[in-house]
Amino acid sequence: MNAVSPIVKAASRAAGLDLRGVTKSFGSVDVLHGIDLSIAGGEFVVFVGPSGCGKSTLLRLIAGLEEVSAGAITIGGRDVTDLDPSRRGIAMVFQSYALYPHMSVAGNMGFGLKMAGRPAAEIAATIHAAADILHLTPLLDRRPGQLSGGQRQRVAIGRAIVRDPDVFLFDEPLSNLDAELRVEMRIEIARLHRKLGNTMIYVTHDQTEAMTLADTIVVLRAGRIEQVGAPARLYDDPDNLFVAGFIGSPKMNVLPARRVAGGVEIGGHVLAAPPLASAPPDGPAIQLGIRPEHLRPARSGEPSLPFTIEVTEFLGGTTWLYGKVAGDIPLVIEGLRGSTPVAGTRLAVTADPADMRLFDQAGTRLR
Amino acid sequence: MTRAAEPSLPDRARPRRSGIPLHAALFHLTAAVVAALFLAPIVLVVLASLRPASEAGAPPLPPWPTTGLSTESYGRLEAFGDGLLHYAGNSLFVALGTTILTILVSVLAGYGFSRFRFPMKKLAFVLILSTIMIPFQSILTPLFLILAKLGLQNTLTGLILLYATLQLPFSVFMMRNAFDAVPKEIEEAARVDGVTGLRMLVFVMGPLILPGIVSVGLFAFLNAWNEFLAALVLLTDQSRYTLPVLMNAVRSGRYGAVDWGAVQAGVTVMMIPCLLLFLTLQRFYIRGLTAGAVK
Repeated sequence: MNAVSPIVKAASRAAGLDLRGVTKSFGSVDVLHGIDLSIAGGEFVVFVGPSGCGKSTLLRLIAGLEEVSAGAITIGGRDVTDLDPSRRGIAMVFQSYALYPHMSVAGNMGFGLKMAGRPAAEIAATIHAAADILHLTPLLDRRPGQLSGGQRQRVAIGRAIVRDPDVFLFDEPLSNLDAELRVEMRIEIARLHRKLGNTMIYVTHDQTEAMTLADTIVVLRAGRIEQVGAPARLYDDPDNLFVAGFIGSPKMNVLPARRVAGGVEIGGHVLAAPPLASAPPDGPAIQLGIRPEHLRPARSGEPSLPFTIEVTEFLGGTTWLYGKVAGDIPLVIEGLRGSTPVAGTRLAVTADPADMRLFDQAGTRLR
Repeated sequence: MTRAAEPSLPDRARPRRSGIPLHAALFHLTAAVVAALFLAPIVLVVLASLRPASEAGAPPLPPWPTTGLSTESYGRLEAFGDGLLHYAGNSLFVALGTTILTILVSVLAGYGFSRFRFPMKKLAFVLILSTIMIPFQSILTPLFLILAKLGLQNTLTGLILLYATLQLPFSVFMMRNAFDAVPKEIEEAARVDGVTGLRMLVFVMGPLILPGIVSVGLFAFLNAWNEFLAALVLLTDQSRYTLPVLMNAVRSGRYGAVDWGAVQAGVTVMMIPCLLLFLTLQRFYIRGLTAGAVK
């Protein structure tokens, strides 16, 4: 397609982004405490964390909608810390779409270029190229009020594409959409990233979105980065209990345990445990993390934990079994396909040492 | 065990009474009566203005002219002083001047109060609003003195300044609400698009607060157009009279008699711009008043 090429070609120069000691306070409240982060050009980075963790603030600092209290932001090697949002080479997609209600779809998409005083022919060509990518061409003359939620979000993305930014910023763009549309748009955004190749930074509190979209996930808590890494790394090799609990659904099981000779002891039952490079500093009491899908029925004679099923959740592909283990420690395990366990059933469950993660009392990973 | 129930038999169509239901008839009747109540004064005034001079002082019933239609009253109005058009021009100048000044100041002030942080913002806003509580008649004398000091007594410009001042507290309040109703993200999206300062106000915010602007403008225009007391006190030169003051002057006929015909004709003329404005802008006006009321 001829019309599409200018945007795609121009965008192929994906710029990296560097945050150095970025701090933000509102009055006496510190929202971000010295964030250091390097994002490679063309990477899809997702900021994830519970509400109030500062992920949206961090995005707004990158966009220039808020001023940093301290620190520096570099985009494509250029210090943009004190630049206006429009001069940073970014484009932003807002949660509420934030379309201009009094302008047509084409007007919304071309407004930035019009304000920059570009020639009308160039604006029209750019709008059409972006509309082509997002299948918005038949809607170009409509007003935002006449569009569905999904269409509005596509227009908002179109407006971002037209700006031909070095970095795309998405602030929880899908949270106003219904579940089905959210999945659709998620795939569309992933496709867009592959097609344009720009650096994209995406903020969400939805860990499914984070897992499916990201090259790199940045987990934030209370204004600090907890861990940065690929989705699989965060899932398999979390640095602490917070990351372990935040990534993955249902959450990783956390059992209070004690290190004993030959393994870990949970409520009087001993399982084989992964080896540790060094002994935990604060005594034998630790926390044992096991993901639900890593728990399985024990073979006869194998060390195991007695598990009593209380509730089952049949989801089609999988069944989650909720219950108590070793007395009254809550536990979730993945049921076997084909078996139809009922509440009250007692199972002997166990897990391989390779699938166990050990954490100290403070929640820091023991390796 | 839960299972799907047998489908029930199809509902038999309920018989429907033909004709207009009683509640609809009552509704229309009530609406008609209320409409008549509101229209009656306008109709009475217009009819009374068309009575011949001999009839003008007659009792108001029946309200319509009994001895044929006549435009004599309009003639007498026109014959007064510099002519009706001159005074209408004065009124229009004052009303438009007030409207433009009020809109300019209240839009800027409303934007500031809605979007910017500055010290003592709340106090300033409450102070502005609290001036609504002071009846302006009670401060007419000091206002007159101030205008006299400024050399603006007996000028239409002075009147515009006075009207705009009186109009501003409510207008600033309205405009702040109008700006508050615009989501911040729209402004932020515009900032990312490279829009700042005055261009933000004109190209992005302007169209979104248009209903508010129309409401504020309409209020300012109507109030300035109809205001009587301040104009009477401030304007001493007959050629500078606005229409309400003119009407007061025309009213006094020979030997203390009241020229009701000329007054009714004047009222009719004065109504025209108000009605036209209101009818053309009412759509915006309603939206402006309810701005921010619902998400």
